[in-house]
Amino acid sequence: MKGRVIFSLVAVLILALGVSAYPQAYPTKPVMLMVAYPAGGSTDVGARIVASIAEKELGQPIVVLNKAGAGGQVGFTELAKQKPDGSYIGLINLPALNTIILDPDRKATFDIDTFTPIINQVLDPGVIYVKPDSHYKNLKDLVVEAKKRPGEIKVGTTGILGDDHLAILMLEEAAGVKLRIVHFEGDTPQVTALLGGQIDVSFLNVGGLTPRVKAGQLRVLAVMDKERSKFYPDVPTSVEQGYPAVISSSTRGIAGPKGLPEPIVKKLQAVFKKAIENPEHMEKMDNAGLAIKMMMGDEYGKYFRELHDRTKPLVDAARKAR
Amino acid sequence: MDALQYWILGFSVATLPLNLLYAFIGCVLGTLIGVLPGLGPAAGTAILIPVTFGLDPIGGIIMLAAIYYGAMYGGTITSVLVNVPGEAASVITCLDGYQMAKKGRAGPALGIAAIGSFIGGTFATIALMVVSLPLATFALRFGPPEVFALLVVGLSLVTGLSGRSMLAALVMTFFGLMLCMIGMDPVRGAPRFTFGIPPLYDGIGFIPVVMGLFGVGEILLSMEAPVLEVIKTKITDLLPKREEWRVSTGAIGRGTIIGFFLGLIPGIGAIIPTFLAYVVEKKVSKHPEKFGTGVIEGVASPETANNSYANGAMVPLLTLGIPGSPTLAVLMGAFIIHGLTPGPFLFKERPDVVWGLIASLYLGNVMLLILNLPLVGFWAKLLEIRYEFLYPGILLFCILGAYSLNQSVFDVGVMIAFGVLGYIFRKLDWPLAPTVLALILGPMMERALRTSLEMSAGDLSILVTRPISAVLLIVAAVVLLSPAVRLLGKRAGKEDGG
Repeated sequence: MKGRVIFSLVAVLILALGVSAYPQAYPTKPVMLMVAYPAGGSTDVGARIVASIAEKELGQPIVVLNKAGAGGQVGFTELAKQKPDGSYIGLINLPALNTIILDPDRKATFDIDTFTPIINQVLDPGVIYVKPDSHYKNLKDLVVEAKKRPGEIKVGTTGILGDDHLAILMLEEAAGVKLRIVHFEGDTPQVTALLGGQIDVSFLNVGGLTPRVKAGQLRVLAVMDKERSKFYPDVPTSVEQGYPAVISSSTRGIAGPKGLPEPIVKKLQAVFKKAIENPEHMEKMDNAGLAIKMMMGDEYGKYFRELHDRTKPLVDAARKAR
Repeated sequence: MDALQYWILGFSVATLPLNLLYAFIGCVLGTLIGVLPGLGPAAGTAILIPVTFGLDPIGGIIMLAAIYYGAMYGGTITSVLVNVPGEAASVITCLDGYQMAKKGRAGPALGIAAIGSFIGGTFATIALMVVSLPLATFALRFGPPEVFALLVVGLSLVTGLSGRSMLAALVMTFFGLMLCMIGMDPVRGAPRFTFGIPPLYDGIGFIPVVMGLFGVGEILLSMEAPVLEVIKTKITDLLPKREEWRVSTGAIGRGTIIGFFLGLIPGIGAIIPTFLAYVVEKKVSKHPEKFGTGVIEGVASPETANNSYANGAMVPLLTLGIPGSPTLAVLMGAFIIHGLTPGPFLFKERPDVVWGLIASLYLGNVMLLILNLPLVGFWAKLLEIRYEFLYPGILLFCILGAYSLNQSVFDVGVMIAFGVLGYIFRKLDWPLAPTVLALILGPMMERALRTSLEMSAGDLSILVTRPISAVLLIVAAVVLLSPAVRLLGKRAGKEDGG
């Protein structure tokens, strides 16, 4: 974070002077990396880790810009309208970006084709947490109780139509239950509410919460993934517990605006691939509880589109339920 | 860890050389902001937030907190020497402080203010250490309905206590609440009143608003004011006479208690404790008629209450995440920018930040005592800087500060617009604090209300069936209705008499 303000001022100055008058190999000036969430959040932490390593490889500073607000919409809107010259790229969070596009109420000024996916960095699986003294020992206990008391068990999300909300909808659908969904803004308010007994169950992710589990503040009911999380190796996944349709995660990857030229995409992919595979990056991400999942090119694009199609019915169902 | 270990942890963090340096820089900047008329602690901290971006969270927050209570000290100097409050909480100090200066007793006035502030600040910090931990545990019982009710209390207090006209205060509160409606719906995510302007999706940022209302607005107003006349007196004897000591001791004690307890209630603001302390002092005095002619307890008590309040107000901020005044809201913004959410968890998860900050308050008070007593003459010199040089500089800082928050030109526009509004509101004598506090508390209130209703499946009775929330709502109703009741009582009385 050091020198961020100075950096951006310098960057603006360089832009103003028009250093790019001579055709040189990209990049000829500092690259902005937009993060659509506040500084200190897990997206921001991951972005700063990779930026500090990738900038050595890129030969130009990478300046992390926090454009937080409206569940990411402010930043995504900003990224979508940039010139596709590689000087401004950003982190896109899926499925948050998908649901903003899919919910007509959000009046998004962008679509999935407005972005050029470059490389994915993180896949943070969804996790169901309870208080350590909760009488739910596994997913089945929760479902049995929910069948007995439909619409009464209070479950928290970190925001409407975020990955946690979608996960609840998946579980409702798969188990044929109805839960009472309570939306919070971000992790901390939700965990506070869980520990204060305001809600019964929390739908969150792995990232950032491993210390609380270690400290005995939270217990993990299930990890909503096909494979067990390396951070919670003893906890069975939702698939193991009999709900293969309940798979949820939040991914964070780097994307540019639409029409980013192929050579720039290739260059950025090479730079960030090297940075992501760097042992320093791996170690720092491990400490932050963030699982690395590299996806590039067609693989990443396909993931983006398939997730979009899978998310659509859930968003429609959530909108109908309002 | 028990309380003692937390204290040790706090002091070990606060005494790191770098953190001491940040606290020191904060104290100097804060005193400077307090001394210079035209910049109060709210605008000062808001402008300097971006400066802390490059620091680690603890250092940044220690520095901002130091600016906050440093400004409380600095404001006194201007009040005493120029009869113009350097910041709002020093208004009452003008009454006796300036009179003392006219009699050539500026030294002891400033001396007792610094000493009283030190004692008030120190005791409040110790009290903060004692009550915070149990309160943070209790705060977990504050669910969304309780938070909503507490915020209603805060807003009704700031409305009921600001300015002379309750109507003007109500208008300003609702103006603030209406501003909060701009931007994304916090629960459903639909844009409201954004007119398709992307920066508005995120709502109106309160930091540019604070900079505008309290910074730019104040500067515009000050430019109209005549050039300040600084009392040119040799400030030699800073220590009060024995007789003055005797009367001051009680005043300082009462000021400490009043300040701290009022600090615990969100929405009171920094001015009320100083007025209350002054009034109480006048009531208990053997010579109330001499107040306003330069009695030392008229300086000692409000100045003590002022700093005691500043530290007491940290309690609701740190334990519940509820800022009690515009300046504290800026400080809370700084926590959030640095990735820390004030609230019960912060005590558990970042004891280094919380206790480091609390310990730094203590050390900062010592630094301020050292800064203020021998350097009073230097600060007084600053008052002679010509406005032609001073104000453009401050304006430039405001613009840079507003821009660097989000690298957004829109924020600069917001700041300038609210600067003009702030000027107009001041001219009309409409209070600014209700707007700013409503702008900050409004989104928290809306979210708490809607989350409560999600918890109860839409049943409003959740707000009154939970005991803590019910009691708080009754308190709010009493605060808001009391002027009306008094007014009705007066009218009824008149009719009886006539």
